[in-house]
Amino acid sequence: MELRLNSVRMINHDQSKEFSLGELDIMEEELAIAYINPQDFEEMYLTASLKLHISNENGEIIVNFEQDEDVPKGTVLMPVSIWSNQLTTVKDGEIVNKNIAVQVEASRDPPTKLNVIIKKIRNE
Amino acid sequence: MEKITCTGCSLLCDDIIVKKDGSNIEEIIGACLKGVERFEMISSKHRVLKPYIRDGDSLEEIDWDTALNKVVELINKSNNPLLYGFSNTTCEAQLKAIELAREINGFIDSNSTICQGKALNVAKETGFTTSTLTEVINKSDVMILWGFNAVESIPRLLNKILFSRGKFRMTGREIKTIIILDPIKTDSFNVMGPRDIALLIEPDKDIELIETLKEICCTENALPSNEVAGLDKDDFKRLQTNLTNSEYISIFVGQGLLKNQEGKNPLKSLFELIDIINERNKKGRASIILAGGHFNMMGFEHVALSNTGQNQSLSFNNHQLIESQETIISKIENKDFDLSIILGTDPISHLPMRLSKKLASKPIILIDNSRSGTYLIADLILPTSISGLETDGTAIRLDNVPIKLKKVIDAPQNLLSDEDLLNKIIEKLREKREGI
Repeated sequence: MELRLNSVRMINHDQSKEFSLGELDIMEEELAIAYINPQDFEEMYLTASLKLHISNENGEIIVNFEQDEDVPKGTVLMPVSIWSNQLTTVKDGEIVNKNIAVQVEASRDPPTKLNVIIKKIRNE
Repeated sequence: MEKITCTGCSLLCDDIIVKKDGSNIEEIIGACLKGVERFEMISSKHRVLKPYIRDGDSLEEIDWDTALNKVVELINKSNNPLLYGFSNTTCEAQLKAIELAREINGFIDSNSTICQGKALNVAKETGFTTSTLTEVINKSDVMILWGFNAVESIPRLLNKILFSRGKFRMTGREIKTIIILDPIKTDSFNVMGPRDIALLIEPDKDIELIETLKEICCTENALPSNEVAGLDKDDFKRLQTNLTNSEYISIFVGQGLLKNQEGKNPLKSLFELIDIINERNKKGRASIILAGGHFNMMGFEHVALSNTGQNQSLSFNNHQLIESQETIISKIENKDFDLSIILGTDPISHLPMRLSKKLASKPIILIDNSRSGTYLIADLILPTSISGLETDGTAIRLDNVPIKLKKVIDAPQNLLSDEDLLNKIIEKLREKREGI
């Protein structure tokens, strides 16, 4: 299903805090998270134990998700983090981190770990 | 008990009380979640306290002499160094960083370039009307949060401007209206009362709304014939009425307005709208405040401008500032650098992967006091004290007011401040060059 990704600052999912005070090997619990509208949840036949595989031409991640009525239908909301930035891009010399087209599917795999992303960035 | 300034965000709250027991902070009174997090960094078990050098996946602890020699070696090998960050440090350190960039013929930019600094570049062409927070508190009867989630970005801002009593707004919250324009119903919507206006705008349609307002705002009974940017006529009328009849409109601009829409720059259009309101609204005035997040994001703009005549994206050659159209984005995108020196920021996590991969492909020297995505990639890591808590200095608040930062406690293990470490690097480079 195609949705629009918006990455925003969330005080309860704050990357700087997790890096400074949290544990690196479980950071995905706080930061690899997406919020979707309950109608999109229904249309994708999601269940509580599933995860979301979110991808576009820039990259892909697997994240936990929660339903949130405040998120408009058709939108997937994520905290700004190294996870959401696997999907953001640059256009005309500007960073594009809002309203990005992404494909969202159900997944049974666990959320992407930080070390997997770091290896990808290092080209390993 | 001591009253200090918090460096958790660009609001720089100067009413935080700390209780100390010798060299430990026992209690913090008045800080928000972001502020408390900043204080918690002091004693975090994960705090970076020693210099490290990367050996594959692992980091090897090294002494300071070895670390500084390695910095000099990497810089001397480089023909095209890139310096980036500097919005989480003092103005004094920012000045020193520009000196280092000049010394090594580098390119230096701050986080501001990709955040609220964009607005200042637009303002170079158009000019813009702004206010201090004191003016907002004393005079403002309408506050607009445009693409800006104040509650999660600058948590105490609304306490100060919305729930306070000002000189000309003695009754406080009950006579202040807040208008939020955002495509997402953020937590800031939760502070709204009956007189406030929540406007859920269609994504990337701000420009459409601003252009329509430019045509008909402050004109009696003028309404658009159709829905604009997802706002129906009633919503538009309520917004229009407030822009027309208010005495002091303060518009806080967040990240949501920084990106071009339909090939146009919404900031430029917004600045023009403000001018139009100020011309047509006979009763009052409107102004803009840029709501950047990092505690001294505005500082770099001021320090760079006052010292070089240019507010950001400084390129040096032969120790002179040269003309350049480059920004931090174009430099990384084109891989136009062979070394990066990052201070107090985390570009590996904050930039799109396409850029972070390019940044990671060249050596990185990281100056920071906490772990980050960049910490996990950097080749050399140099820890420093925490600016504003373990170091005195100056910072520029989001409304361009300079604020003095007072050291609260000593840094552990005699860690140098950012300013002192940068100075030491400059001295080492000069010694090496002069063969001392």
